[in-house]
Amino acid sequence: MPGGLDISMVVQQLVNGLALGSVYALIALGYTMVYGIVRLINFAHGDIFMLGAYYGYFAITMFKIPFALALPLAMGLAAVTGMAVERLAYKPLRQAPRIASLITAIGVSLLLQNLGLKFFEARPRPYPRIIPMVVWDVGGVVVSNVQLIMLALAIALMVLISLIVYRTKIGKAMRAVSFDKDAARLMGIDADMVIGVTFALGSALAAAGGMLVGFYYNRISPTMGAMYGLKAFVAAVVGGIGIVPGAMLGGLIMGVAEVFVIAFVSSMLKDAIAFAILIVILLFKPAGLLGRAVREKV
Amino acid sequence: MVSEAKATVAKSIGTRATDGKQLTRGAVALGGLAAGYFLVVGLHRAGVLISDYYLQILIWVGINTIMGVSLNLINGFTGQFSLGHAGFMAIGAYVAAYMTKILGAPFAPALLVGGTAAALGGLVVGIPALRLAGDYLAIATLGFGEIIRVIILNLDVVGGPRGLPGIPAHTTFLWVYAMAAATVVIVRNLIWSRQGRALVAIREDETAAETMGVDTTRYKIMAFVVGAFFAGVAGGLYAHKITFIDPSQFDFMKSIEALVIIVLGGLGSITGTVLAAFVVTFLPEALRAFADYRMIIYSLMLILMMLYRPRGLMGTAEFGFRQLGLGDARSSARDVGGQAMGRNDGPPPVLETRGVCMDFGGLRAVSDFCMTLRQGELVGLIGPNGAGKTTVFNVLTGLSEATCGSVHFMGNDITRKRPSEINDMGIARTFQNIRLFSNLTVLDNVRIAFRGERPYSMTEAVLRAGRYSSQEEEICRKSMEFLRLFGLDDRASEIAGKLPYGAQRRLEMARALATGPKLLLLDEPAAGMNPQETHELLELIRWIHERFDLTVLLIEHDMNLVMKLCQRIIVLDYGNTIADDAPADIVKNRRVIDAYLGEEAV
Repeated sequence: MPGGLDISMVVQQLVNGLALGSVYALIALGYTMVYGIVRLINFAHGDIFMLGAYYGYFAITMFKIPFALALPLAMGLAAVTGMAVERLAYKPLRQAPRIASLITAIGVSLLLQNLGLKFFEARPRPYPRIIPMVVWDVGGVVVSNVQLIMLALAIALMVLISLIVYRTKIGKAMRAVSFDKDAARLMGIDADMVIGVTFALGSALAAAGGMLVGFYYNRISPTMGAMYGLKAFVAAVVGGIGIVPGAMLGGLIMGVAEVFVIAFVSSMLKDAIAFAILIVILLFKPAGLLGRAVREKV
Repeated sequence: MVSEAKATVAKSIGTRATDGKQLTRGAVALGGLAAGYFLVVGLHRAGVLISDYYLQILIWVGINTIMGVSLNLINGFTGQFSLGHAGFMAIGAYVAAYMTKILGAPFAPALLVGGTAAALGGLVVGIPALRLAGDYLAIATLGFGEIIRVIILNLDVVGGPRGLPGIPAHTTFLWVYAMAAATVVIVRNLIWSRQGRALVAIREDETAAETMGVDTTRYKIMAFVVGAFFAGVAGGLYAHKITFIDPSQFDFMKSIEALVIIVLGGLGSITGTVLAAFVVTFLPEALRAFADYRMIIYSLMLILMMLYRPRGLMGTAEFGFRQLGLGDARSSARDVGGQAMGRNDGPPPVLETRGVCMDFGGLRAVSDFCMTLRQGELVGLIGPNGAGKTTVFNVLTGLSEATCGSVHFMGNDITRKRPSEINDMGIARTFQNIRLFSNLTVLDNVRIAFRGERPYSMTEAVLRAGRYSSQEEEICRKSMEFLRLFGLDDRASEIAGKLPYGAQRRLEMARALATGPKLLLLDEPAAGMNPQETHELLELIRWIHERFDLTVLLIEHDMNLVMKLCQRIIVLDYGNTIADDAPADIVKNRRVIDAYLGEEAV
């Protein structure tokens, strides 16, 4: 893009990038937690994110529920959806080859997306304006209250999830199951319950991400899950899959990189940058930025 | 297409057929394929069963078959999880369409160039496969697929996001049928050859494959290049069928479609893939009646099929045919007297290590390790757990690179060599925790390890020509001979992982010997054996040591075995060599007793 790189422009993009990145981070957390515990790339996660956005949409427009209540409601509904998907589609395949679960996940993703297309209509919908937009100009950098709320909410949720994973009993059980499911079982941990909780937490975060996207970009559609889901997954891998802080770091990197490419290179390349970063990172750090390579013992 | 399957079955029976038989088989295969074609076209002309509409669908079946079979080569046979197949298809589609539409080239060269361009793409995408495995590789290939799509999106010569309309409609049923048949035959021939066994070995256990002399880098790249080539051809056919292409047609879902075909058909089953291509192509068509609910039903059926048949329709079922060929070969395995595999001995010191050390992070696992093995020696390497014995083996076989020092084998520096190169030079090993290719047959485990002096090329394998039959026959015969020496010949067609423990240990030794080593490294061969089995093992090691004119280095905890078997013993403790002496002197060595043997030993 013509025009020099003036510093306020760069800071501006950084702000926008962090806002987008916080959404990627929220979705990536769900991927990383599920992968960490059952080693499954849950392709349906992006569609849970989409459903979450719609749950919030209907709660606000049809039932006139205020945003502050609609958010936890949508998160709760998404959590139930996520757990149901796990019970019905993934649990029967725990002992099957992993690729069978992967294809099933793809099937679930297709199913949710097509159900969405059928029942929510294919057209994108404008998201309800919850609060009037207020914009501040800080030395040439424009920051809106929407961005601030989004960042604050995302950070609050990430702190909450970290506390759950690293400070609570259920979190400890999750880490134990992730490390060795059978050993955890022998120690009296109900692995199925822990896996269910993991799906619930991940799905709730995705729903929050979905509502924030609607809130920020003002439109949602039944197919929005595919690209957001894919990029959030890439974010999880870049950060080191299975590692909670890795997902946050990866999400922020993805968001900032994407916004910078749109602003300074070409919007046509915005979908390629995520994958380019992915390949470069994987070639140099095969286990992701925060991951530790595990050497095979011979 | 049924006849096509039959034809390929006929083609594959027996590996010892004479040239006459081979010609007959080729003729039967070609005849079957031609008959299949004329059957479809005849039915179509006569208006029986096959309407214009069904002929169109059969064309899509053919394209999906090519996509599936080529992806199965990468994914099912080589075990490299690839999610970027649509990218290769896109390259083939765009290059071929560009050639015919804009350059006015004929169809055949356009397809060929499209395939070659995709193969180049496969070469690039294959490179991450050298560093990544499993899900990480899947995501990286997915990324490559998307990047290819975005690049095309930004290429104005081919219309960018607007796409490329008006591509000549060259793709006929004959083209698709011929290409699909060619793909099936070529991939099948490739799988059932020396090269194919190497690919399957990589899938089963990459480390073991590498130490058995399989150049895993080369073969992984080969799988990607060949698979990508055919995906490119499929892309060319696709473009000239649909006559309008744009980048959105080759998105992630297209790769998923190919993946669904191979998983549904059974990873590692070509016949299953063909079957699944039919199912996956016909299903959405059959669901057209449900209009709006079509995709919902389709995805539900996909989930249900996976829940009820998680291993696909066929599993790896067609491997059964291979055992057919095996039954034939066994009868002729007789006359080869097991001549010594090792070529004539070099200068007396076979292996020399100088000041080898190995650090893992801050831990020095082996320090200043110096050892000389002379031709024909039988040496034991002992020491308490964690003394660094297996690390020494890993350094000697190239699995770990020494932090400092050097390893010389037969006068060559092998410190920085790859495991497969080291194996080629004549060092073979077994593993502490047996690493067989456990889903393959006993015979195949040994066959993978075999290499001739001038092994046949890939072209010869694909065409079943030249040195192929004579060498395959030879490999089969010699492998059976090895199995006989180890008392495993009557179990040749059993699955290796299902053998009893002792038999698995023997098979691992047979496999190592089949690579024709001069130096054999045995890592705790007696682990988990009872006294009777250990005694038999002792006899066996003595006997192969003599018979194959080998130098043997052995790690073992069973002191009784080591004392009886070895002419010299090296003792390691915390990475340091604390003794190197004859067994009789070792038991008197104060440091050894302190560190390891304890009071009651001997």
